[in-house]
Amino acid sequence: MEKLMNNGGSNGAKRWLLLGLVLVAVVSAFSGMINRYYLGVLVEAGVNVTLAVSLNLINGYTGQFSLGHGGFMAVGAYLAAKLTLLFGPALPPALQPVLFAGALLCGGMGAALAGLLVGVPSLRLRGDYLAVVTLAFGEIIRVVFQNSPAFGAATGLSGIAPWTNFFWSWSVALVTVYVVLALVHSTYGRGFLAVNDDEIAASAMGINPVRYKVTAFVVGAFFAGVAGGLFAHLKRAINPEGFNFMRSIDVVVMVILGGMGNTAGVVVAAVLLTLLPELLRGFSEYRMIVYSLLIITLMLLRPQGLFGRSSKGGRL
Amino acid sequence: MSAAAQNSGGGTVLELERVTIRFGGLTAVSEVDLAVGEGELVGLIGPNGAGKTTVFNLVTGVYQPTEGRISFDRKPHGRLRPHDLTRRGIARTFQNIRLFGSMSVFDNVRVAMQLHRRFGFGEALWRGRLAAKAEGDVAGRVMELLEIFNLGRVRDELATSLPYGDQRRLEIVRALATRPRLLLLDEPAAGMNPTEKAALAQLIVEVQQRFGISVLLVEHDMRLVMSVCQRIAVLEYGRKIAEGTPQQIQKNPQVIAAYLGKEASDA
Repeated sequence: MEKLMNNGGSNGAKRWLLLGLVLVAVVSAFSGMINRYYLGVLVEAGVNVTLAVSLNLINGYTGQFSLGHGGFMAVGAYLAAKLTLLFGPALPPALQPVLFAGALLCGGMGAALAGLLVGVPSLRLRGDYLAVVTLAFGEIIRVVFQNSPAFGAATGLSGIAPWTNFFWSWSVALVTVYVVLALVHSTYGRGFLAVNDDEIAASAMGINPVRYKVTAFVVGAFFAGVAGGLFAHLKRAINPEGFNFMRSIDVVVMVILGGMGNTAGVVVAAVLLTLLPELLRGFSEYRMIVYSLLIITLMLLRPQGLFGRSSKGGRL
Repeated sequence: MSAAAQNSGGGTVLELERVTIRFGGLTAVSEVDLAVGEGELVGLIGPNGAGKTTVFNLVTGVYQPTEGRISFDRKPHGRLRPHDLTRRGIARTFQNIRLFGSMSVFDNVRVAMQLHRRFGFGEALWRGRLAAKAEGDVAGRVMELLEIFNLGRVRDELATSLPYGDQRRLEIVRALATRPRLLLLDEPAAGMNPTEKAALAQLIVEVQQRFGISVLLVEHDMRLVMSVCQRIAVLEYGRKIAEGTPQQIQKNPQVIAAYLGKEASDA
């Protein structure tokens, strides 16, 4: 993928993105042949890939420990759902995809704005302190939705149109992967890694660490918001509890398991961690214990993540 | 403008006027005047803890002076932050090497070039023809710089995996990639053996001439400083106790006292 992003030139990477999108569309066209249950899991995996890859830009590449992804996701989910609930019923079916795309974008923008709001004041903080502030921020968002009658308060929103399918979920995932990789492999984007490696040296090289950190937060939050919109239109009902800090932790686990700053690893981890609980249904009530044990074992065996941190010039 | 800077022919690039910085009760640098002329190679020496690195941190905007004024190109520093000053043309290396550990040799230099790029966030995403050309240009210039310093063959190695001397040189290359007019070298010879030191002395002079930049050098190794610097300033306990040519500094009794103790200079 390194070659693809660098030597493949400008058009190489874009061509791969297009090819991927076509592939997703083709699979989507035949998705009726896939078992509904498996299809649902696959669609959810796509949403999780988007969440994990976007968080990886903040936590992995830029090295800012954020626990706010659940919060950003909530902003996107609520905004998108509210929009489609408001305008969906009146619209002819042909225009529904347009509304859905618009709603997802609005959700993403709302979340990006939230990312900007949390990013700017938090950037004086580092490491654990930043994590605590982003965690608190995520909780504030959740509580705000919990207390807004317009967003259904504690019961949340329901009756959301089931528009998230294989195509939507995986094309957003592909675009996210493309954006993050294209960014971090450009000369501009190497700045994210520089800030992570050594902030003092980075600023001595003319890199404005604050600007890079805020950019990472805004871009990461945007895609978390879009993923939130997809999530809402997949589950068809959302409530504030669904976006508590355990949700953020889930995404952090995907990033750490995949390897901080290693997009390929994070994609695999996101898919794996979506499938795992489903595969473990045979263990019934011991399911979560087995799941946790598997994660502990993986971390013991590969503390650097599935594929390891992107050393050697940040491949992948 | 100091007399010494005028002697060097060009104008003054960097000027410190009665610069003082206090950390709580401790005065780390006290009323220091210092000027670096265009294309001049100035040494800054002094015993451990004399405030040399603090002067560097003041010049690069890491610290703000408590009193006094620093100006670069006649423009006062004001409250500019380090990355703004790099943009103006001040680059530095660090006493304890600070390379970007997760990146290759190539990328360490490349990232320093984003300062002068004409492409940013949008172009990085769209990857159009112009962005591709710009990236190509950057890659070309990075390789050019690496080749000059004989680091081209290790372009894909992890920066921190290089031998110590190469890491020091890479830091200089990275600083040069920001296209500075003033280069600050903080103890570049620390930890080097005599052969490496000799090569470094040659390199510093070469860099200064080839790139036509001014250099401010902090260094403990007297032989190196005496051999490459046109002018030397001596700090002790945060105060400048002497300034002059290497010959003058070598004979200055105050400097000898600072380095060898009082009795030695009396003897």
